[in-house]
Amino acid sequence: MKVSPATGMNRGSGRLRRMKPERVKELTLIGIISLSVVTFGFLIENYLSGRFFNRVITSVVIVGILAAGQALVIITRNIDLSVGSATGVAAYLTGDFLAANTSTGPLVAAVIAILVGSTLGAFNGLLVAYGRIPAIIVTLGTLALFRTMLSLYSGGQNITADTLPDWVLQFNQVTVVSFGDFDIRLVSLVAVLTGLGLHWALARLRWGRRLYAIGSNPEAAKQAGLPEQRLVFWAFVGSGAFAGLAGFMFMARIGTISATAGAGLELESVAAAVVGGVSIFGGAGTILGALLGASLIKTLELSLVRLPQVSEFWRDAVLGILILVGVLIDLALQRRLSRRPIAAARSDSGSSPPVTVGEHSRASEGAPDE
Amino acid sequence: MRKRMRLAALLAAVALVAAACGSAAEDTTTTTTTTEQDTTTTSAGVEVGGPVVIEAAESISALFLPKCTNIPVFPQANSGAEEAAAELGSDPASFVGPADCGDSTGQIEFMANAVTQGVGAIMVSNNAGDELAPSAQAAADAGIPVVSWDSPIPSAEGESVFVAQVDFDDTGVVMADMALEILGAGGGEFAILSATPEAANQNAWIAAMESALVEDDKYADLVLVDTVFGNDVAEDSVTQALALADQYPNLGLIMAPTTVGIVAAAQAMTQEGLCDQVKVSGLGLPDEMREYSLSGCAPVFALWDFVDLGYLTYYVAYGIATGQIEAAEGVVFEAGRMGMYTITADPTRDSGLRVLMGPFTVYTVDNIGG
Repeated sequence: MKVSPATGMNRGSGRLRRMKPERVKELTLIGIISLSVVTFGFLIENYLSGRFFNRVITSVVIVGILAAGQALVIITRNIDLSVGSATGVAAYLTGDFLAANTSTGPLVAAVIAILVGSTLGAFNGLLVAYGRIPAIIVTLGTLALFRTMLSLYSGGQNITADTLPDWVLQFNQVTVVSFGDFDIRLVSLVAVLTGLGLHWALARLRWGRRLYAIGSNPEAAKQAGLPEQRLVFWAFVGSGAFAGLAGFMFMARIGTISATAGAGLELESVAAAVVGGVSIFGGAGTILGALLGASLIKTLELSLVRLPQVSEFWRDAVLGILILVGVLIDLALQRRLSRRPIAAARSDSGSSPPVTVGEHSRASEGAPDE
Repeated sequence: MRKRMRLAALLAAVALVAAACGSAAEDTTTTTTTTEQDTTTTSAGVEVGGPVVIEAAESISALFLPKCTNIPVFPQANSGAEEAAAELGSDPASFVGPADCGDSTGQIEFMANAVTQGVGAIMVSNNAGDELAPSAQAAADAGIPVVSWDSPIPSAEGESVFVAQVDFDDTGVVMADMALEILGAGGGEFAILSATPEAANQNAWIAAMESALVEDDKYADLVLVDTVFGNDVAEDSVTQALALADQYPNLGLIMAPTTVGIVAAAQAMTQEGLCDQVKVSGLGLPDEMREYSLSGCAPVFALWDFVDLGYLTYYVAYGIATGQIEAAEGVVFEAGRMGMYTITADPTRDSGLRVLMGPFTVYTVDNIGG
């Protein structure tokens, strides 16, 4: 019987000990982000300002949304490497539609983008859940397939800003409320609310908890009678939908859409999720963590860009180091926890999202109702 | 290439080492390229007694290799090449290349394949600096003429002749003049947003602009504060443009000699409401820049006709491949609808031959249309 990797740290004192391990990871991330902002504040001129805050929260939107969708899939012990291409397809097709129908509003455009993304996600989901092909193979294939189809469709032509409705280019600037130089932008609010909505659903709703059960121990979940295929399928549809939303945001941010739109975002989204404490081995992690992971990556990226001493190659290397550190911490936790008696794991895991032994039996009780 | 490295970083720990080695290796290969070819290309200086009219002879197979297939200027150039091939009764050249312009060494593979297939001519817009030289030399050794266009091989090794869109020194002056026009006689601070650090044409233009700035006193108050690289990727270019605006509070202009960078910078300034302080200029496509030209964000920019460039390039390659003209200094020829050209020594490189197309079209709100 396998114990979820994130069921708690048995050392550490007092309050920290009683805290859920996800909270500890999330607080650690907030700490690291704050620490790096302060450090860079000393290193870079004109750094600490409302402007920089606005930069980070607007640039984190796309990766943040993708990281949330990616976390959904990774929690089920799968991975979606096609999200960058799906983002590009959604951005291009939505832009194409808007250029032909310039009276379309933002809401309809967002819905179109999400539908496009969901369709692509459903294709992945069918192959992974029902075709029984490993997710890394399927989505590595569709990463190339979606991109190639987009290249052929576009014929190398970009969608140019002057053909899009006027609201598109201003969309990123729409501010809900300002505190001095600090803006709360609509795009950031949408990303945060969507992410927190998913976070809540995963923690509180039955299907959310079942996703953790599947990722934590697929065999046990299957034997307990969980509709494993259907849940994995919908996780991929969800990831596709988030990629679609990210595509909409991408279109609004960049304005000129080429067939290469979104290339490379798949790895940034995986990085954000893993750095945010989502276990690459499935079954553990939170959406809030993934959002914080995305924030950390973007904060570092936007800061390192302004340090002339740091070459471009090193900026990529920093991302790689972050991923490895995230995975290593996860592995270390898992190893340590697997040596612990199961009773201890049960007693201090409480009702935290990662499914523990107790959760399995509860899930199996509910299964016949389905 | 970097994207693939990130994937590796995710999948295996060795990737970090690979990334570090990769960058180091690139640095060394670019600095250790040979200059031994100095004399081979400028040797003949053949007097061919009057202009050669390039006419339809046998049909040739050819490779028209762009920096990447997904930036609109390259399909445009290819349409010019197709037009020329049709006039000359030859098969259209195959238009293939890396999908992503950030993939700076991807062209090498395409060159090698073309040599293996034994094509009649290779036309290449070089994106790999002198790393492409060995492949070009291999083609030359196999008797295949290599005509570079848009971006030459810096050492000219293996290259028959370079079809230059405009004089690279002129490019520097045109950019300096546009900077002067925007910043005014009082001068001010500006920064350059380029593509990749390896792009030979970008580097030549930037160098030409820097020397133009010191050569004429009227530019004395234009201060170049920074040069950054957006890799010809929209998202990276937006990030870099905004970082410039934050880093230099007195920045008045971003000069982007790349069609991807200029439109990304214009969109970045537009969406952050910075157009009043920071203008954008450089080399841009009229279709993509119309929105920002009309809004005043990019009051003046320049470009040449890529269709004409592809057309002239095909004529030159066809003429050499069919033996009608020789790649030698002083050769005068007529290229269909575009008229007479002369092959000269390339004054912007230490060695190599050049056909100069020209001229620039400078776009302002008066001739942008819309």
